[in-house]
Order: sequence, then C-alpha cells, then structure tokens
Amino acid sequence: MSGCDAMAQEKKAGLLRRTSSSKKPLKEKVVLMYDEIFTKDDPAKSNPRFWDELFLMKVNLEYLEGKLECLDGDEVMVMKNNLNSLFHHCVLALEEEHQIKVVNALQTLCALFRGVHQKNKSATGFDIINMLVGFDKAELRMKDLMESLDSLLCGDGSESLKSLCLKLLLCLVTVTDNISQNTLLEYVMINSIFEAILQIVSDASSRGQHGYDAVVLLALLVNYRKYESVNPYIVKLSIVDDEPTLDGLGMVVHQALTEYNRQYKDKEEENHAGFFSTLSSMVGNMFIADTEEKLSVQTNEAILLALYEAVHLNRNFITVLAQSHPEIDLAATPAPPTPTTPVSPLGTTPPSLDVMHNPELPLDPNLQTSNLLITFLKYSSIVMQDTKDEHRLNSARLCLIILTCIVEDQYADAFLHDDNMNFRVNLHRMPMRHRKKAADKSIPSRPLVCAVLDLMVEFIVTHMMKEFPMDLYMRCVQIIHKLICYQKKCRIRVHYTWRELWSALINLLKFLLSNETTLLAKHNIFQLALQVVSLFNMFITYGDTFLPTPSSYDELYYEIVRMHQVFDNLYCMVLRVSTNVGQWKEPASKVTYALVNVRAIINHFNPKIESYAAVNHISQLSEDQVLEVVRSNYDTLTLKLQDGLDQFERYSEQPKETAFFKELVRSISVNVRKNVSLNTLSQDVLLKEFSSIS
Amino acid sequence: MGDTELELSPSQEEELQKSPSASSTSTTSSLSLPSSPSSGPRPLTSSSPSTSEGLSTSSPPLDVISEGVGELSLVIDTEVAKKACQEVLQKVKFLKGEGQTALVTAEPGLVNGTGHAGASDVDCRRSRTSSKIGREEAPPDTGKSARRRQNNNSSKQSWLLRLFESKLFDISMAISYLYNSKEPGVQAYIGNRLFSFRYEEVDFYLPQLLNMYIHMDEDVGDAIKPYVVHRCRQSINFSLQCAWLLGAYSSDMHISTQRHSRGTKLRKVILSDELKPAGQRARREALQPPPPPCHHGQGPAEHSLSPSKRTHQRSKSDATVTISLSSNLKRTASNPKVESSQDEDLSSSSDSLKLEAGTPVRLTPQREFIKSLMGIGKRLATLPTKEQKTQRLISELSLLNHKLPARVWLPTAAFDHHVVRVPHTQAVVLNSKDKAPYLIYVEVLECENFETSSVPVRIPETRIRSTRSVENLPDCGITPEQRASSFSTVPNYDNDDEAWSVDDIGELQLPEIHTNSCDNISQFSVDSITSQESKEPIFIAAGDIRRRLSEQLAHTPTTFKKDPEDPSAVALKEPWQEKVRRIREASPYGHLPNWRLLSVIVKCGDDLRQELLAFQVLKQLQSIWEQERVPLWIKPYKILVISSDSGMIEPVVNAVSIHQVKKQSQLSLLDYFLQEHGNYTTEAFLTAQRNFVQSCAGYCLICYLLQVKDRHNGNILLDSEGHIIHIDFGFILSSSPRNLGFETSAFKLTNEFVDVMGGQDGDMFNYYKMLMLQGLIAARKHMEKVIQIVEIMQQGSQLPCFHGSSTIRNLKERFHMSLTEEQLQVLVEQMVDGSMRSITTKLYDGFQYLTNGIM
Repeated sequence: MSGCDAMAQEKKAGLLRRTSSSKKPLKEKVVLMYDEIFTKDDPAKSNPRFWDELFLMKVNLEYLEGKLECLDGDEVMVMKNNLNSLFHHCVLALEEEHQIKVVNALQTLCALFRGVHQKNKSATGFDIINMLVGFDKAELRMKDLMESLDSLLCGDGSESLKSLCLKLLLCLVTVTDNISQNTLLEYVMINSIFEAILQIVSDASSRGQHGYDAVVLLALLVNYRKYESVNPYIVKLSIVDDEPTLDGLGMVVHQALTEYNRQYKDKEEENHAGFFSTLSSMVGNMFIADTEEKLSVQTNEAILLALYEAVHLNRNFITVLAQSHPEIDLAATPAPPTPTTPVSPLGTTPPSLDVMHNPELPLDPNLQTSNLLITFLKYSSIVMQDTKDEHRLNSARLCLIILTCIVEDQYADAFLHDDNMNFRVNLHRMPMRHRKKAADKSIPSRPLVCAVLDLMVEFIVTHMMKEFPMDLYMRCVQIIHKLICYQKKCRIRVHYTWRELWSALINLLKFLLSNETTLLAKHNIFQLALQVVSLFNMFITYGDTFLPTPSSYDELYYEIVRMHQVFDNLYCMVLRVSTNVGQWKEPASKVTYALVNVRAIINHFNPKIESYAAVNHISQLSEDQVLEVVRSNYDTLTLKLQDGLDQFERYSEQPKETAFFKELVRSISVNVRKNVSLNTLSQDVLLKEFSSIS
Repeated sequence: MGDTELELSPSQEEELQKSPSASSTSTTSSLSLPSSPSSGPRPLTSSSPSTSEGLSTSSPPLDVISEGVGELSLVIDTEVAKKACQEVLQKVKFLKGEGQTALVTAEPGLVNGTGHAGASDVDCRRSRTSSKIGREEAPPDTGKSARRRQNNNSSKQSWLLRLFESKLFDISMAISYLYNSKEPGVQAYIGNRLFSFRYEEVDFYLPQLLNMYIHMDEDVGDAIKPYVVHRCRQSINFSLQCAWLLGAYSSDMHISTQRHSRGTKLRKVILSDELKPAGQRARREALQPPPPPCHHGQGPAEHSLSPSKRTHQRSKSDATVTISLSSNLKRTASNPKVESSQDEDLSSSSDSLKLEAGTPVRLTPQREFIKSLMGIGKRLATLPTKEQKTQRLISELSLLNHKLPARVWLPTAAFDHHVVRVPHTQAVVLNSKDKAPYLIYVEVLECENFETSSVPVRIPETRIRSTRSVENLPDCGITPEQRASSFSTVPNYDNDDEAWSVDDIGELQLPEIHTNSCDNISQFSVDSITSQESKEPIFIAAGDIRRRLSEQLAHTPTTFKKDPEDPSAVALKEPWQEKVRRIREASPYGHLPNWRLLSVIVKCGDDLRQELLAFQVLKQLQSIWEQERVPLWIKPYKILVISSDSGMIEPVVNAVSIHQVKKQSQLSLLDYFLQEHGNYTTEAFLTAQRNFVQSCAGYCLICYLLQVKDRHNGNILLDSEGHIIHIDFGFILSSSPRNLGFETSAFKLTNEFVDVMGGQDGDMFNYYKMLMLQGLIAARKHMEKVIQIVEIMQQGSQLPCFHGSSTIRNLKERFHMSLTEEQLQVLVEQMVDGSMRSITTKLYDGFQYLTNGIM
C-alpha cells in the first residue's frame, strides 16, 4: 500500500534528476540509499561504509521528506531502528572534518525533523522522539547534536556552515505550529545554545550575516513553554548585562526595522511619483485604500517579538534603545562577504547589508543620527496606519505593548525626557482628506517623548472607525497616562503642544458618544471614557507640576469650555446608563464621578463668558477674550481632588496577554517555517562552495 | 662632594663675573639705572626711582598707545581717584622704604657672603644677569678665560654657591640659571637641584624644561634628563605629560632632524614604557616626600647609571603592578566569550593582544582613552550642522561609556581619580566654525593613587538593584544599603512576571505613597486617597494651581533657551552645583562618597601651545599679584597640550560668554547684571560689580602685557559672580588675526563695561584704574619671572606669537621699567582712555557680528 507512494517518489526523483542535471548520476544513488534506509534491515550490514558514503552525497531533501511523510504507523515501528541510526550518524557526521559531510548531515537532519513532524501531526511529542532518536538514546544524542551545533556556531568555520546550523535550529524550533508542543525543544532547553546566539549577535561581522536568524531563533526559544515551566532562555536573556552583546541585539532589530521603513518609503515614493498620486490626492479618500494596499510591506513580527522580549525581560536593554547607532561602528568593521544565500534569509524583511555597511554614510549631511527607539517609533507609525486586517492589528498591538513596557521603565523615561537628546523624528502620517502632509523638514528637534506623544495623538485621531480598535485605544491612552505620571513625579515640563492632545481626546469622546450603541455591543467604552477623563483630571489638578507655561493651563480650560457640549453629552449618557440596572451601571457611574471637575469648570466659566459677551455686546468671543475671562475667574472656582489619578496598573504579560502572545508566536512559527523550508531546499550555492573546498 | 665642588667652581665664578659686569654695562635694558655698581641692586623695588626722581622725567614713547594722548587733560581725577592713587603711592613708598633698609643690611652681606637678601633683591639681580648672559657675552666666553677669572674671584664663586644653596633659591631662579648659564657644571648642578624642589613647583615649569631639553644644547639636556627620567618612573601621569609635550614642542623642527632629535628619542623611550617604576623601592620613594636637596654629586653619576638600571629593572618581577594594571580597560562581562571583542574596539589589536597576554602596559589605557576622545573630535568635524554634531557626540560618548570604568583619568584634574562614566547626554559641541571642540562632563571616583588603587567595578547604567537572577538570588550585585536607599519596599517577587522586570514606576511612586512630605512643591501631596467614600473629599482652588504654576516658572533661575546653533549656551549657563547634583542623581555611581564631577573641553585640530604659554603667564602674574596683595582677579584655566594640534582645556565653570549673555537675554550688560544680581544698591549687585571691576582690571593688564587680540565677546566669559574671564589666547604677543589693523587699543574696554562699573565718573571706575596701576607696578617688580616663561618657550618655536625678532623686547618694554610711578599712572590713564575711545574695538565687534554673528 505504500507502493504507490514509493512509485510517486521514484518518479519525483527521476523527474528531478532529469530536469536538474544529467551530469549528476550520483543522485540516483542517494535515492537508492534512502530507500535502503527505509527497510527493515540495517543498511550497514551489506555495506559497512554505507553511512560514510551517504553523507558524501548531495541530499535530496524532497525525496527524503516525502518518504518520511509516506510512512504509516506500522512501517515506522519497523524502520525505527534505521531512522534512529540515520539520526545518530547525522550527529556523528557533524564532527567530521570533511565539510561536505557536515553540510549534508545538517540538511538531512532538517529533512528528518520536518518529515517526521509532517507525517505525525497528531502524534505526541514522545512518539516523535522515539521515532527519530529512540527513547533510550534521546538524551545523549540530542546533547551531542546541540554541542556540535554550538561548536559549529562558535567556531571559526565557514560562514555558510553557521548559517546552515541556524537554519537547522530554526527548522527544529518551528516544526510544530505551537512551539510549546515541540517536545524536542526540551533538549534545546537542557543543552543551551544561548551563549552561541549571543556570540553571533555581539560580533560585528557574524552579526551582519547571521544576526537576523539568531535573533529570531532567540525570540522563539524564549517563548517555549513560557508560562508553564522555567525556560532557561528567559532566565539568561533577563540577566545579560554585557553592552556589546545587547547593542548587537539592538543593532539587528534596528537594521531589520530600518530596512522595513526604507522599503515602505520606497514604495510610497514610487506611488507618489506616478500619475496616480496626483489623482489620489485630489480625489481623496476614495483611492486611499488602494494606495495603502500597494504600500503594505509585510511586517516583521518575529523581529518585533525579539524586541519585545528584550525590552520586557532585560532591564539593561533599555539603554540600547537610546543608543544611537553611529555609522562608524559599521564602517569600521570590514564589510562582510555577501551572504551565500542570495534569497532573503527569512523572506520577510531581510536586513540589507549594503545600506548599513556603506562607509560613506557618516558623511551624508542629510542623514539623521538615529537610534533604535526612533526607528521603532517610525516603524510603529507605519504599522499603525492600517489596522484593518487581523495581522496588522496584532502588529500594531505588539508595537503598543512594547511602547508600554518602555514608558514604564524609569531609565527609558529619563532619556525620553532628556532635554539634551533632541531628535527630529519623521513619523509617517496617514494621508487624510482634511489635512496636508506635513513637510518633513519642518519637524523641530525635540526630546523623544514628543515623538511618542505625537504617535499616540496620531493614532487617536486616525482610528475612529467602525471596526473600533478598543484594545489599542486603551493601550494608547494608558501610554500617555504613564508618561504624564512620570512628568508629574519628576516635575518635568515638556514643551509640547498639549492642545493637540486635548482636542484629539475630546474628539475621541465625541466618537464614543455618537457610536454608543454599536460600540457598546462589543466593548466597554466606559473604561476608555474613564481613562480619557482621568487624563483631563491629571491636567486640571496637577497641571502646575508639569505644564510648560501658565498660559497652557489657560488653554486647557479654554479647550474644555469650548468643547463643553461633548462633556455635557457624555455626562448625560453616563448618568443615564448608571441609573439603569445593567452590566454598565458601575463603570458608567465611575465616569460620572470622574467628570466632577470638568463639569465644575464648564459650569463656572460658561455663565461668566456669556455675561462677558452680554456686557460687551459681542456675539462671538475671540480666543483671547475667552482666555481673559478664564484668567480672571480662577479664584472663585473650587475643584475636587480625585483619587489615584497618578496610579496605574503596571503592564503584566500574564495572564492578560498570554493568549495574544501564544497566537503571535504561532503565526511567527508558521511564517518562519515556510521561509526556512524554501531556503534550505535551494542550497546549490552552498554546495558549490563546499565542493570546491573539498 | 669635593669633586663636584671642583667641577662647579669655575662656572660659579663665571656667573659672578658676569653678573656685575652685566649690571654695570646694561644700556639696552629699559631700566635707566645709574651705572655705579653699588646701585646695582637698587631697582629691586622697581618703583623706587619714581618717588625720588619725581615726574620730571618725560614719559618714554609708548608705541602701543597713540590715540587719546592728547585728550589726557580731559580726564580729571575725582577726589576719590586721587585719594585712591595716593594710597597706592603711599603703599609703594612704604614698600620701597622697606626694600631699601633691606638693601642696607643685605649689601654687606653680599660682600661677605653671609647676608640674606630679600626675595626681590635676588630676583632683581638674577633678572639682570639672566637678561644679559648668554646673548651678549656668549662669543668671548671661553673655558680659559673663565678659569683665569676663577682664580681671581674665589669669594664671588662661593657667593654663587651660597645663593644656590640658600633658601631663597627657588625654582624660578633655577630655571633661569639653567637657561642662561653656558657652564655645563652649573647646568648639571641645577639639574641635580631640581630633585630638591617640590613636584608641583617643577611641574609648573615642565614646558620650559622640556623645551630646553629639545631645543638647547647637549649639556642642558643632559642636566635635565635624569630628573625627567626619575619622575617618569614614578608617575604615569608625568610620563604622559612629558611624552605629549615632547611631541608637541618637537613638531616645529624640520621633519628630518625631528626624527633623530633628543626629544623624539626620549618620547619614544617614555612611550615604549621602558621607564617603569624601579620596583618597590621607587614606589616607596614616591610616597615619601621628595629626596633631600643635597644631591650635588649624584647628577652625572645617576645619569650614567640609568641605562644599567633600566636593564636591571626589566628583569625584576613587577608583581604588584601586574596585578593592579591587568584590569586595564577590561571589565567584568557576563559573557566571557564576547569579552575579547570589546577590548579590540578601544585599543588597537596589538595592544589588546598584550593585554590578553597579561603583560601590563602602563600607559595604554590612558593613551587609548585620549585617542578615542580625539577621534570623536575628528569625526565630528566632518558633520555639517551643530545639531548633527551634538547628536553624534552623544552617541559616540555613549559607546565610550561601555569601556568605562577604566584606569584612565583626566590630566587636568587636581586629584587622583578613575574615570567611571561620561554622562553622554550632557556633552555639548562648542561654538567653532570649522573645528569641533566639545565639552564633556566626566564622572570620576576619587582615589588614593590612580596607579595602585583598584579600578571601580562597573555599575550598569540602569542601576539594576533588584534583578532576580536565578543563579545568585542572594547577592545580585547590590549592597543592602543601596537597596535600602532606593526602595522602601521590595517589589513582590512571587509574581513570576515581576521577577524579570523591576517595578520602575513603583520605585518612583512608593516613597510618595508612604511619605507624604516628600512632595514639597505641591501642597497636595497626598496623591492617593485609598477610597473615595471613606474620606472627606479634598477641595482645591483652581486659582491656586494656576498660581503655583506661574510661581514655579518664575522661580526657576533664569535659564537660556535652547538654540540648536548654540548648544553650549544652555549647558554652560546651568549653575555648576546644580549640574553636579543633577548628574549625580542620574548616575549609577552617584551614591558613592568619592564621586566627583569634572569637565573638560576636548580640542582637536587646535594648537594649544600658545594657550599653555598664556596659562603660565597668567598663573605667574596671579601669584605675583597675590604676593603683592593686589586684589586683581584672573582665572587661569588649565591647558593640556597633547600634540601640536590637539589638547584639552579645563572649562571655566559657571560662566557663559558675553556674546551668549547678550544674545540670550537681549539686554545690555548692565541690565543683565541688574537682572541676575539685583538692584544697584543690593549687596549682591555691589559684590558682582566689584568682582567685575577686579577681574576687568586684571584682564586689561593681561591683554596689554600679552597683547591678547581677537577680543570679541565670544572670547570673554562672564561668570555667575560677575567676573569676566578672557579665553582663547590664540593671538598673543606678536600675532594678531589677519592683520586687519583692528584692535589697536591696549585692551578692550567697551562702554558697556564702563557702564557696569558705574560710569566714567563713578568710584568703581577709579578703583578700576587704581587696581590697574597697582597691578602694573607689582608686575613690573617681578617682570623677569614673567619674561622668563615666554623667553624659554621661544626657543626653537615656530608659533605665530613669536613671529619676528622683537617679541621679547616688546614684551619687556610693556613693563615700562623706566617710568616713575606717576608716569605709570599717567600711562594707565592714557591706556584706559584710549581703549574706551577706541573706534577699532567697536569696529572689531561690528566686524565679528557681521562675519561670525558674535554680538
């Protein structure tokens, strides 16, 4: 019954042979040898040099994988010994001096891992271990394997070989959709390759070539049974304090994100250059969706996950965020040889070495000194533009989570607010009908916190839509709240145009009000409304500690009084809901309570303004006149100090975010697997290199 | 002893021969002295002739001051001025009287060789000898004649010896004799005598010593070398200073001679680190006070011994040094695998190899540190805008931080320390058109001895004080006290998530929750009332909030606004103490008791040799004025010459340039004073005004004597106490910027300055003129001490300030030795008047405004 499958495989092999090259008669031999393995008998019995010869031959991955997939349960048991033996010899071959053998062994292992898993999607991890390695030997074999990989990765050997090692590891890590179900990883936990990964990342030249794979691998390994057991990678990552290593990690993330930003910008420019762009700007919204589709460059969650884990787990990494990546560092290191794999390593966003290693870079006057945080903010601004599909939404969510972690860190807050660290951050803004695209040059050089606030304001303004991203809004408003808490505590007066934030927040309330029924069906909008009102309370009662000028406090009142309709309506709404019996009673009454001061302001100043207008016979007061009224009537207004305005719940991954991260890691796994499989199959270049060596 | 005395005797005799003849035949000197030998020592109080000879002597032509002379009569002394001047004259008379009596007692003493002359007495004698010897008498001076004379005047010979051995023989005299004497014996003797002086005293003349070593003949060099070698063995710092100075002062030689010159060779020896301390013995010696002064015979002997010593030393095991230095630029890293790469970043590959091999390279860490600072400067210069430069500077420094702490130090500091961190965000690029000098602040930990004390352990930037590491939970790198100081409660460790990231904001919040009083600005410090129902609501008046906001903003000290084109203004304006406090708070090392903050300006592409010369002259004048109790105020700032085109400057703290003051405040100088210090009658204003006058008088004299040019407002600082401080001595003595004919006045005195002093008729303005007169009289008295510094540095120098042949002569003329005090007073009046009226000053400021935007 497996005959037909075997026939198909034969055919495939034959076809391949014919199409690829007729000069390779050995291919047939390797297929024959595979067939020998898939029998009951020990192939070495008839040919004592069987294994030696096998690894001298070019691997036929497709055939091998196919063969493994075709096996059914009974056959497996029959061939288990041979498979174990193949695995064993693969591991042995890694120690060989003959590099061809090492390469072939690595590729064979890839095929083994994948083939066995594909066949046995439903099988338990233990069955798989037994089938591949054998229970009795598993521990020892896997230890040997990991040690060999470790020494290959850390040795002075060929770069291509290191690359292949990483591919094998990525392949091993991603064979299951849910990484935590991959029992084989238990051995990777016991025999840690953490140090090897760090070494790759910390060394400038190896970072250039393998950094990306290494960091993705690390991100995935950290997520193995994160919540169930002690994961040594989490422990180790959290205590790394060696700056070159952390910098290296940051650099890899930086390069990947920069590359993404660059690709996006290129596409954008491409778009704008054409006739289409003129049309779109004229006709407006109609075409925007279309434009965006064109603009979408695939986001890179794997690298973002790595950034998250680094920020979240390692306090020392925070310093790396502010660490500018001066181009000298890159220029100083000799440009590494171009990677052997011409295709991008993981298909998603390959770090372009040409850009980063250009020694001319530091002298470019238009080039802004950048750092990881700035790059990340730009990346976020692109990702957040479009949250329509689930994938993008998750990407934006991850960005906001990372930002939450950053603003909760005191050191990060210190450099965000550092007056001496000014940068121009060109955030990407969604093209919208009612506003012009701000000219890039006009952005002043400001402390980084302004860019974060800008990004938040931009998000608030641009996402009031039917598919309301409630969760993102909550995170966004919380980030602002945390920043303001820090400013209040440390009495830092940021010269920021707070007015933009106030009007954005008021508009958000307006949107919540006008879409009450639709939104309430899905979300607890009172929670968000409470957050927003609390922000206003922060400004109202603690404004003296962090507002930049006395007049900014006047402007706050002006803005509230000007938009009093919104607050009035909100009050009516929450009052109505809180008097009804229902699930929203309590959250709504909280908002009622929170509105006390805003209402006091409105009730205090509105009559004053009206009487001022009446006395002076003015129908429409100018802004200055209103401000004048405000200024002269403060003293008769009494406010109530609200509770816990500067308290907030700290970010905690568990339990709230676990589901999100599980799903995220799953999608990353699938994506990485897809890309690795494509790559490992096209190793012609690699083989050529080694055939010439040997 | 006997041997040396024999050797020395001819030279000593020679000196004595020279000195009287010199004084009696002096005609070229500006001193108008009676030629009788007995009157030789008279000008020891140089002002003495003035009173006796009165005003009858016509004032000599003043080449510097041409304008304003005719208007002299217009300047009428007010009563106060007269009174003040009389006081000065009285004082001078008194001094003179003292001097004369001293003379009376001293003169027989000199003949007998037993007297102890006053310091000024000797100074004066020496000054005359030194000015003559070596130039006029050089050709006829042969060994034979000297020997002949020796037989005749043995008494005088012993006088010289007595002088050398007397308490009055100070380092300045030693340098002078070393420079002027042609006698190898005397030179060798002085070379030995150097050992008897305190290190600080000799260190002041290090540029002179080394310049003589480089550019003068063999004998001088041989006399100096043992001392230098000895000191190099003792101190890394001294070694490096020598190496840098040798390099810098050799650079004017022709390249072919330079390669084989003595200076270059010595520099190589120092840099090759062959001059290691001679084991424990040297170490102990270094800690002891300097060796006793009776080293007479050891000079040449030690010199000849030194090579053998060196070989001897090499074989010695130098265990203590090895241990203490092996930590060179390394530091503990969590991952040993990657450690090697970080070393390579800073030190060249060969150096790092050495480091790894365990061979300590004494000088390497410091040299690499300086090298990387200079490298930053070079790279900054390629960037077009200030903003980019600043950003780049910050990022480069943050990388530099990775290699700290290390066994490196700032040579401009006065105490031993290790550099532990550069607060990179505080660094600023200074205003310069094409170069990129920058100012950095450096956190250091003071220590006993930077060579032997252990290098501080690195504390991570984020100050992890409670990271829970699975391997070592009990001691995760923090001391209990640290934890106690930063946390009132330790975050809950049971939550698995909390284990990996420390509760930052919690850290921020906890104290405030538990102690209500820490919030001293806002009275509503109770941020969290735990439940809204249980407590009475708290009410606040909106007016109070608004009022607090405006009050707080008003109370913050006047700060400058950020200007991307002038980033240094804000940084320099911040009061130093404030800055120290701020940086200390943010620093992971700030809690250590021996934490200090230093600052330094790194100059790359600038020749600081002239600055160093100016520093020395200023320092000398400062001590002269101190000695003579003239309350002039100047601020010499330390200069470190690293090569002929790089170096470091110790910044003047709490000072901003007048240009920055005017640009930022948009006020006149006087109004700015009123704004900063209070109204006319306030104590603060009056103090500031006095400070201004005293410093202004001091710098006017400096500017006149040294002919400091390029005096635009960007080069004049104003400190928080009201002092002005001149910086940038790039154009002094014989050089001036582009010879446009600007700045012809004696010094810069704008109307604005006079306004601050209270106008031309004010008391303070008269006080100012009086101070100048006093200062000039005092400076004149010790002229030789000043001239000496400049004269020696002229040797072999191509510096623009020595351009032409008359630099020294002109300098001497500016001391006006021949004028009576009344004449000097007139001169000061003329100069002040001329400077005030000088159209060129205004022109130059206008020119600077147009070309460089300097207000």
